Amino acid sequence: MIGNDIVDLALSIKESNWQRKGFLDKIFTLQEQSQIHSSENQNSMVWSLWSKKEAAYKIYNRESGIRKYNPIKFECLVSENGKVVFENHVYFTRTEITEDYIYSEAVEIIGDFERIKNITRPEKIQKKNGIPSYFDAFDSSIRPLSITHHGRFERIITITSFPNEILILKKLKL
Amino acid sequence: MNQEEILQKLKGILQPFVKNQEAFINLTEDTDFINDLQINSANLVDIVLDTEEVFDIEIDNISMEKMVTIKAALEIINIKLSEK
Repeated sequence: MIGNDIVDLALSIKESNWQRKGFLDKIFTLQEQSQIHSSENQNSMVWSLWSKKEAAYKIYNRESGIRKYNPIKFECLVSENGKVVFENHVYFTRTEITEDYIYSEAVEIIGDFERIKNITRPEKIQKKNGIPSYFDAFDSSIRPLSITHHGRFERIITITSFPNEILILKKLKL
Repeated sequence: MNQEEILQKLKGILQPFVKNQEAFINLTEDTDFINDLQINSANLVDIVLDTEEVFDIEIDNISMEKMVTIKAALEIINIKLSEK
């Protein structure tokens, strides 16, 4: 399964003041906070960890149907780059950090990163309990979608049935 | 503080973060902060912190987990006020 989250850094500066008293305590574990404070670019670290938690939460929310606002419990493991742990669930995340945005993707099996496909907004998005999917005419299946938009940026991803290279071979009918 | 006053104060807290004004005008107990009001999820923290300040209460993590609708927020505020 997949999850993603994007933060428009220009908008986050306007909308969120993470230096506000109590803000970090509500969202980040003590280890994460110390990682933030020892970071050269603290703002970037805050939103990087935040987007990893959000991307991992989207997988949990889709699979459990449970809706909770508990980012502090999705713990980014400092020593294990990209791993996010919640209760007995483990998620793997990867994060793209630029000057304009920070973008994270989460999967449950590392190999699934290879199956993530960026798509433009499909025509028929179905939403069940707020969780999106769409019908893929190519292989007549309902595919999960993860959609994130913030400010100037939007990313929509799906997960293909096969790793991308096999899909390309299939499309070429090789 | 009666229920109407609590609701009005809560609406005052939410208002600066609301992206969907129509849903805010037609607000009901079932209104969802993220799905309906389209509040950014990072701003839910600000709403929790503002609620703590305005009502002079402390919202623990377990309570915060549930604070995603008007109904849940009112329940939590009432419980915390009664514990004061």
